[in-house]
Amino acid sequence: MSELMLGGLNLMLLGMGTVFVFLTILVIGTTIMSRLIMRWHDAPEPEPKRGGRPKPKDDLSEVAAVAAAVKAVHGH
Amino acid sequence: MDKLNILLSESGLANLTLPQLTMIIVGLVLIYLAINKRFEPLLLLPIGFGAILVNIPGAGMYAAPVMDAEGHVVSAGGLLYYIYHVGIESGVFPLLIFMGVGAMTDFGPMLANPKTLFLGAAAQFGIFGTIIGAVWMSSMGWMDFSLADAAAIGIIGGADGPTSIFVASRLAPDLLGAIAVSAYSYMALVPLIQPPIMRALTTKAEREITMTQLRVVSKREKIIFPIMVLIVVAFFLPSAAPLLGMFCFGNLMKECGVVDRLSDTAQNALMNTVTIFLGLAVGSKLSADAFLNLETLGILLLGLAAFCVGTATGLLMAKAMNAMSKTPINPLIGSAGVSAVPMAARVTNKVGLEANNQNFLLMHAMGPNVAGVVGSAVAAGVLLSFLGG
Repeated sequence: MSELMLGGLNLMLLGMGTVFVFLTILVIGTTIMSRLIMRWHDAPEPEPKRGGRPKPKDDLSEVAAVAAAVKAVHGH
Repeated sequence: MDKLNILLSESGLANLTLPQLTMIIVGLVLIYLAINKRFEPLLLLPIGFGAILVNIPGAGMYAAPVMDAEGHVVSAGGLLYYIYHVGIESGVFPLLIFMGVGAMTDFGPMLANPKTLFLGAAAQFGIFGTIIGAVWMSSMGWMDFSLADAAAIGIIGGADGPTSIFVASRLAPDLLGAIAVSAYSYMALVPLIQPPIMRALTTKAEREITMTQLRVVSKREKIIFPIMVLIVVAFFLPSAAPLLGMFCFGNLMKECGVVDRLSDTAQNALMNTVTIFLGLAVGSKLSADAFLNLETLGILLLGLAAFCVGTATGLLMAKAMNAMSKTPINPLIGSAGVSAVPMAARVTNKVGLEANNQNFLLMHAMGPNVAGVVGSAVAAGVLLSFLGG
């Protein structure tokens, strides 16, 4: 086997080894971090909801729709 | 009459060589693929146009500046020359793009299921398998790749444009044009390349596996994660720090929520600006003498092999994890371990829906997908430190 091929195989073993070791450390680190955070702050706070409160304009149109429906039923 | 003769003898037609004409046609094909086929248009369009510009005879778009003995500028040099040397040779552009990618990445699905990082690692086998393929081709006497060339070709299997360009600019600047074109073309072809491999390596029962709902990830975890990655990189693999450092910086800007303006610039205005220059500069490396040779054909073949091997090893790793893990893991999410965000995750989702039309794997596949970005950056760091980029 040529020197070049040996270099390639060497690089592959070293490279895949490093990638797996590094990501294993990251998996362990991430898991510990998540555990710690969840212990300190019992419940994970929910993601901030965007536009949680309905706008007043929506409210009025809903009221109008209900009013119209009530009128349609009771009007006759 | 003499003046007219001079003008005619300096015209493009008089000076155009056949290789230059071929490269202009290659540029036009890239533009066609970008516009008509929507192949990564954001990059292939500038790359194709850059390829045309650099091959116009007499335009001197890639001419180096000429100084006289006293250091006065005799001729200022071409635009593409400056863009290439300022942005790509220095590694600045790919790193800025990586910052923008970081600012667009949501680590939530990965944090909810950290095991998926292993899938991102397994898919990097495509990179190293391809390196073996490239040195094998050289040792058979078909090509003339050094180990550094082979490493730069292998990184195509990371399926990550900026990482490929960064590594190629360090290890094999001569091959950069072919490597970048190959990387972006195959990223665009992921929906064609991956599904046959995914179907071949999994059974229908495996493709039908539904996965448990991902937990909610808190904002604190998302903020601390990039800082933690940065610390781990600093301790264990400093050669990956340029890529992962910029990536984490972009991600922290997004997640911390106090610098929305910076995050927005990194994701949009800056990223778009840099993309234009990056594309032109990559195109400027598509000169006839660097592109029209057997090596380019080898790079295109090896790049395809890199994608296939990465997809296959990701799938096999996911199958192994499914066999060992208590919670079910659909092997299809393994193929998303080759980065190509978010295309590979969408492909997983699509193939999963074919088997079971109630099975939405997209969020589950995003975990290995972003893990693939981290994994290929780590692999790039190993290559650079091993080969002294």
